[in-house]
Amino acid sequence: MHLEIGKFEVKDVQFGSKTTFAEGLLTIHKEEALQVIYEDERITTADLVLAKPTEPVRITPVKDAVEPRCKVTGESVYPGVTTKVLPVGSGRTHALKGVSVLAVGKHWGGFQDGLIDMSGPGAKQTPFSQLLNICLVADTNETFEKQEQQKKNTALRLAALRLAEYLAEPVRKKVPEEVERYSFPPLAKRTQELLTLPAVVYVLQLQSQMLEHGYNATVYGHDAGRMLPTLITPNEVLDGAVVSGSFMPASSKISTYQHVNNATLKRLMKEHGTTINFVGVILSNLNVQLEEKERAALMVAQLASSLGAEGAIVAEEGYGNPDTDFILTYEQLEQTGVKVVGITNECTGRDGRSQPLVDLSAKADAIISTGNVSEHLKLPPMERVIGELEAVARDGNAGGWNESIKEDGSVEIENNAIFCADSSTGDHYKTVKDY
Amino acid sequence: MKKAVHYLNQFFGQIGGENQADIAPQLHEGHVGPGMLLHQKLAPVAEVTHTVICGDNFIGSKTDEAIEQVLTELETIEFDIFIAGPAFLAGRYGLACGALGKAVQERFRVPVIASMNEENPAVEMYAHELYIFSGGANAAAMRKDVKKVADFSKRMLQADKLRPAAEEGYFSRGKRLEAFDGSNRTGAERAVEMLLKKLNDEPFHTEMPMPVPAKVAIAPAVEKMEEATIALVSSGGIVPKGNPDHIQSASATKWGKYEVDALYELEAGSWETIHGGFDPSAANQDPNVIVPLDAMRELEQEAKLGSIHPYIYSTVGTGTTQAEAARMGTEIAKDLQRANVSAVILTST
Repeated sequence: MHLEIGKFEVKDVQFGSKTTFAEGLLTIHKEEALQVIYEDERITTADLVLAKPTEPVRITPVKDAVEPRCKVTGESVYPGVTTKVLPVGSGRTHALKGVSVLAVGKHWGGFQDGLIDMSGPGAKQTPFSQLLNICLVADTNETFEKQEQQKKNTALRLAALRLAEYLAEPVRKKVPEEVERYSFPPLAKRTQELLTLPAVVYVLQLQSQMLEHGYNATVYGHDAGRMLPTLITPNEVLDGAVVSGSFMPASSKISTYQHVNNATLKRLMKEHGTTINFVGVILSNLNVQLEEKERAALMVAQLASSLGAEGAIVAEEGYGNPDTDFILTYEQLEQTGVKVVGITNECTGRDGRSQPLVDLSAKADAIISTGNVSEHLKLPPMERVIGELEAVARDGNAGGWNESIKEDGSVEIENNAIFCADSSTGDHYKTVKDY
Repeated sequence: MKKAVHYLNQFFGQIGGENQADIAPQLHEGHVGPGMLLHQKLAPVAEVTHTVICGDNFIGSKTDEAIEQVLTELETIEFDIFIAGPAFLAGRYGLACGALGKAVQERFRVPVIASMNEENPAVEMYAHELYIFSGGANAAAMRKDVKKVADFSKRMLQADKLRPAAEEGYFSRGKRLEAFDGSNRTGAERAVEMLLKKLNDEPFHTEMPMPVPAKVAIAPAVEKMEEATIALVSSGGIVPKGNPDHIQSASATKWGKYEVDALYELEAGSWETIHGGFDPSAANQDPNVIVPLDAMRELEQEAKLGSIHPYIYSTVGTGTTQAEAARMGTEIAKDLQRANVSAVILTST
């Protein structure tokens, strides 16, 4: 399998009379772009607002982030979600780099929504402060969930995917400045040279704790909670096979943007052929019933051992209850003889003195820690808010509470509320240390 | 200029050796002995205005009395920081620095900074309470250790952001909080590097040392169920409609106690879950699936248990830290003990 991702570095974004990309400048014809949004009758009002790094801007409630991409050699960027189920992972995809489309609620937030500060002390909490953000600020007629703490945010999240595809159309036929190439030869046809290197798998535990459809991460459009752990190629993940869901507190969440830019996967692909023989991705899940957790852990270990894996990196999209899936899987792999490094965040409380994970194991001796969900943050007021600040305090945000917003516009929240701050895909510098 | 109080034992306080170890605490104006170095190193941010000296034996054998005397003396002066030692490997001196430092911190709400060798038994006892800097084994390290303590004290007094324990040089206070990787390496780079080390059997350092889990002994079985009073306690967030106690939907710090004595079951519409971490539809349709009052009433009618405690207890167990959960659990347990409850059925979600 051979995938090429053609990169177009976006240096600035502006609105104009035609949607174009030239010399690093992305120009958006707003009215035309909004027509793409309004294709879904559930969207009642929509606007596009730009937020750039270092600006005094706060964005919330953010529901997902998407990288503008188009599939040059096919029809689908997010198969099973924006189109029917089609293959991805090979051929040519073009991507606008340095820019992301954010799905932002005009009013309503929820448990899982995030906050991004483009400057000030909050900016360093999340890598999304470093991108040119095209904010789709919209409201929908999904009244059934307006007062619900748990929201599927279906219309808004789908609209962001459509908008991202629309924005990448101008580069479909252009020659990219740089092409990333990912070759993933079939396992049974690997060279002797590759076979002498230690085989490594990447295990991605997707968030799938909700029983009802529409909240969980999806794989080719299929609810990750309703699958057994599945072997998939890195190419497919980097080319849109996985789309983010709408459940986990924001800091623990993996956005759609991060799935196609999965930093750990890219790093493993870079090592592939030099220090390791990368044998693939096991997409697993995070379930609520013990039997499901045990079954998933067994299946991951079985797949890894069938592949001859000697090493594994396990990433957990969540914290709390999912820690048990993480530890069970870690233990099963180690028991099978696979050496594991885990990537997860922790929940040590505001004073840092609580047990980091819900479940513990002496076998879990190699963990990369990406944040403390309950880190207490006081963020100064921002000149401009995109979305609605009240959502953090009013709508049951996992990191907010009734008194989170102060009169001067400053906020007091837990890290839980910061959008994709504890990137378990490994694209951030944040960690947790002893004080 | 900020004011520092310095603590020394009889030896470093220039009073004498072991034969003077029984002297009672005394407060001196200005600096004494190694306090001069501390005074110089604290400049221009702070000065050592007073020195407390006490014999190691006195404070070791009459700890409460010694501490009370020192606290009473300190009431008469104003100060911003309390610095103890360095105590190096001296066990009694270290314990004195720890016990007194902890008391001063609690009474006066000022930072307390100490310095000891890692082998000093006081490190294990007080590292979670105070900032104890890792110091040398004996007075040969005085200059170096005092400088470390003074530099940190100055930054603390100027309200600078403090760095992680390993970077600053103090022993971990058992607090795990966020930091940014100093060498700007992403999680991905750190993970792959750690995996390669683990694969090659090279030493590596986990970023999350596994705590040893606290084991709770299982209580003995209830012998006579027909005489037992059973209580229902839940972390599933079941509360009277409207959530009268404003229990948080995640990261809860509150628990509620609700009378159910007159109820046969928890009716949908009157009770609801405010738990933010699971799909609430089944629980809202029938709150008894989380708090099984209906099933318990049946058992009560069949005389399979003595009685059901007239109150249910509820909190939310998603994102709730282990420390908060332990505190709430202890509070609820006390309430249950007062009511002579025999056993508890604890349900989650």
